[in-house]
Amino acid sequence: MNPMLRDFLVVFLKCNLIYGGLLGTAAGMTLAERKVSAWMQYRIGPNRVGPWGLLQPIADLIKFIFKEEMMPDGANKWLFRCAPLIAAIPAMLVIGVIPFGPAIPFEFMGNYPNFSITDLNIGLMFLLAIGGLSIYGVILGGWASNSKFSLLGGLRASAQMISYELTLILVILAVVAVSGSLNLRAVVETQKTIGEWNVFSQPLAFLLFVVAAFAETNRHPFDFAECEPELVGGFHTEYSSMRFALFFLGEYCAMIVMACLSTTLFFGGYSVPFWEDAPWFVGIAAFLLKSAAFLFLYLWVRWTLPRFRFDQLMHLGWKVFLPLALANLFLTGAAVSWGVDLW
Amino acid sequence: MVIVQRKQLSFAEKLYLPAIARGLSITFRKIFEKKITRQYPEEPLPKTEVTRGQPRLVVKEDGNIACVSCGMCEIACPAYAITIDGGETDRTIEREPVRFDIDMLRCILCGFCEEACPKDAIYMSDELELADYTRAALVYDIHKLKRPKAALQKRIDYVYRLNNRWRKSSSTR
Repeated sequence: MNPMLRDFLVVFLKCNLIYGGLLGTAAGMTLAERKVSAWMQYRIGPNRVGPWGLLQPIADLIKFIFKEEMMPDGANKWLFRCAPLIAAIPAMLVIGVIPFGPAIPFEFMGNYPNFSITDLNIGLMFLLAIGGLSIYGVILGGWASNSKFSLLGGLRASAQMISYELTLILVILAVVAVSGSLNLRAVVETQKTIGEWNVFSQPLAFLLFVVAAFAETNRHPFDFAECEPELVGGFHTEYSSMRFALFFLGEYCAMIVMACLSTTLFFGGYSVPFWEDAPWFVGIAAFLLKSAAFLFLYLWVRWTLPRFRFDQLMHLGWKVFLPLALANLFLTGAAVSWGVDLW
Repeated sequence: MVIVQRKQLSFAEKLYLPAIARGLSITFRKIFEKKITRQYPEEPLPKTEVTRGQPRLVVKEDGNIACVSCGMCEIACPAYAITIDGGETDRTIEREPVRFDIDMLRCILCGFCEEACPKDAIYMSDELELADYTRAALVYDIHKLKRPKAALQKRIDYVYRLNNRWRKSSSTR
């Protein structure tokens, strides 16, 4: 077969598989969110559409598509239409560098052993750079709506992103210093056994990462961009129909990516605890399970903690997290450069 | 004026982490506890004789409607939901309604019609659900309102017990 065509086919297949999984999970998360919230409040949750409410996301999708699309007077039409796409697409793009499983030991249409769309050498940097772009969608959506609530939501989102992206990057840098690579697969390869998992050598980094990831994905208790009691709906106040859904799709995709990233960076990615030479499909299952646990954490925290105040968020970001992350990076860097075994 | 002394938080409290962990453990435990949701259409609330649902017309055991179209309920109705046109009949009561409409969209389920009726012809049933596709379909005519007396007996008995002090006898009792 023509090698170019073969390459194209393989990437096409991988993309279909991984993006299908991503969007399916995002749809499932909308149901899971409602189910988990219901359980925590002694309720049952959606159970009318399909068995156990499993077809609820499809019903929601149909509803979203058939709803009327509204645009406020004086809105910037072009940006208003673009913003949801700008918010959703980067969040989906970054899943491409996540390694889902170990090398596959058999040949499939040539030798493509890696179960990820691409193994970028600068995977982490790509992830942070592109993932950080999705905030533009939120800010532009807030600005283009010609509404005060939206604008305030967008402003808050930008301030929040800048504050917490710093912490996030500094924390990730500490992990990179330990593993010695920006390639996510290489990061996973340094955490083969459970004792080598970064969560044990970098507990502070893990804590900071989780909180920063919550802030970064606009989730409770840091969802100031869409804070209902103060800002109606924040940046998506004026959005309706499928464009509104796209914002949420972007948010859920960002959550899923963050869950995958925490698994990769701190919980040994696809390595199976206490079973070092596990077959590849067990590795993939382990990865998915760990990520699912993180996704559950997102829901769990959302339905437990109250929302912070915006000044508390800024205080926490700049006066607590940034110094801690810097200290953590400094200590890790010193330990690595002097050759101290961290664990 | 009250001066509130804020409690000085200890370091562990300022970290918030123990409190967060406690909160998380509480919500996690709640997941497995008994649910209190009532699956409404399948498990409706128990209806008692006190349930004051939509008004219905009593059809006596002989198959005739008890109403004599006196118009008392029409006047008593605070929402102007009832419209009655009277007509003649060969029965001894001489009058019966040829038209008895209740606009269910106007009805506020207050039960004044039940109180006003001198012939025990209209009672609040335990029927509560009200849904249709058009407004016109929700203006119930006499055929939709008719209910056999047996179906309303619980409510009738209840009202009689309630009003026993001044209501000693009735034509339909």
